[in-house]
Amino acid sequence: MVSTLNFEITQRPDFSMLKVALEAGQQVFAEPSAMASMSPNLTLKAGLKGGALKSLGRMFGGESMIVNTFTAEKGPGEVVFAPGHIGDTQHYRLTGGSLMLQRGAYMANSAGIEVTGKWQGAKGFFSGEGLVLLKASGTGDLFFNSYGAILEINVSDDYIVDTGYIVAFEDTLQYRVRTLPGLRGGGFKRLFFSGEGLVCQFSGQGRVWVQTRYVSPFLSWVNPFRPTKNN
Amino acid sequence: MQYDLVCRPASTAVRFALDAGESITCEVGAMIAMSSGITVETTSKSRGGGGGIMKGIKRMFTGENFFLNHFTSQQSQQTLLIGPTLLGDCIHHPLRSGSMVVQGSSWLASSSSIDIDATWRGFTSAIFSGESMFWVKCSGTGDLFLSSYGAIYPIQVDGEYTVDTGHIVAFEDTLQFKIGKAGKSLIGSFLGGEGLVCKFQGQGKLYCQSHNPPSLGKLLGPKLKPR
Repeated sequence: MVSTLNFEITQRPDFSMLKVALEAGQQVFAEPSAMASMSPNLTLKAGLKGGALKSLGRMFGGESMIVNTFTAEKGPGEVVFAPGHIGDTQHYRLTGGSLMLQRGAYMANSAGIEVTGKWQGAKGFFSGEGLVLLKASGTGDLFFNSYGAILEINVSDDYIVDTGYIVAFEDTLQYRVRTLPGLRGGGFKRLFFSGEGLVCQFSGQGRVWVQTRYVSPFLSWVNPFRPTKNN
Repeated sequence: MQYDLVCRPASTAVRFALDAGESITCEVGAMIAMSSGITVETTSKSRGGGGGIMKGIKRMFTGENFFLNHFTSQQSQQTLLIGPTLLGDCIHHPLRSGSMVVQGSSWLASSSSIDIDATWRGFTSAIFSGESMFWVKCSGTGDLFLSSYGAIYPIQVDGEYTVDTGHIVAFEDTLQFKIGKAGKSLIGSFLGGEGLVCKFQGQGKLYCQSHNPPSLGKLLGPKLKPR
């Protein structure tokens, strides 16, 4: 199976779409509802990829248990994927290593890649919004998406990212979840006043992708506009 | 201070390159990522008008976030990446002298040399429109970074100009203003969808945003479960 996809990402960074041109017999896997349009040559099969246990792991990773498989059964064809919200799409070529994805960031992958959920233990638990990560490994093309634009950061020393803004990072990086450095007044003041959630401190060599917007603050912004309950 | 506006215009973020000792004051929650040689300090005093923590808490529960995060670089060549909450643009306004009145949620960041006064009550009557709008007055010399919902467009007012209150991002305080109704009668202007407008007078710079945040809130809010 050819694990290299012929693809094109257009309309970046706000209305990004991913167009994949499949050769006869080639396959692409994508999260449910990511498909916007496709040629009639393609067949779509929904199913648990990699068995029930792996799917369960993905569910913990904030992704649906179902991964849709698109196969160019009746000759070459194309399929267009788009994220559910306004935002960016990024391609990453895996060559035997691993990439960690923030929950919800997974979009699509070629054959040759395995996506599994990874329980972060307390590290993930305390980050609130959940630094619940998916791990993609193998050799092939991987696509992930964001809310807002994606920026790539080359980490060569130490770097700090708000956990909510992490989209993906290479697993050559070490990371730990911590509070912001230098905040006086201890944990209470930090948590309640600084407004910056927990941060992830990366060290080592590798790349991190961050998004320029984050859904949670937007939801907090909308909250006061909700109607109040009348008993 | 070096800065760079990236991913314009809908997902704009501001990237700063800070040298040792350089400092920037940001809206709470604005930090996306930064080098580890930057320290953060949270205060409530300059925006809270000396009210201290208790006043700050009170304001927090009224939905207004009056805390400030001060990012100070301890080393050379540190980067700081910040972004606003809503989809939209960010702009840089060099403040040379005088003051700029900024709609609270549009204030994103400013140099530490700029004084931020959140006790400014010039727009009290805007509360009449039922929106929890607040205004901050920025004075001094330095760089000011403003954010918007949608695009930002500048207007050089010379004479008179009318803006819907929800579309104001910031204006120079050389401008006089009057809150009023858009049409002749109050009912008529509400029916026309234009709530309250601000009538500016004089000479000065005005920044407007293409979209109206309270309108978005009123569109989404009723579709959500009651809180």
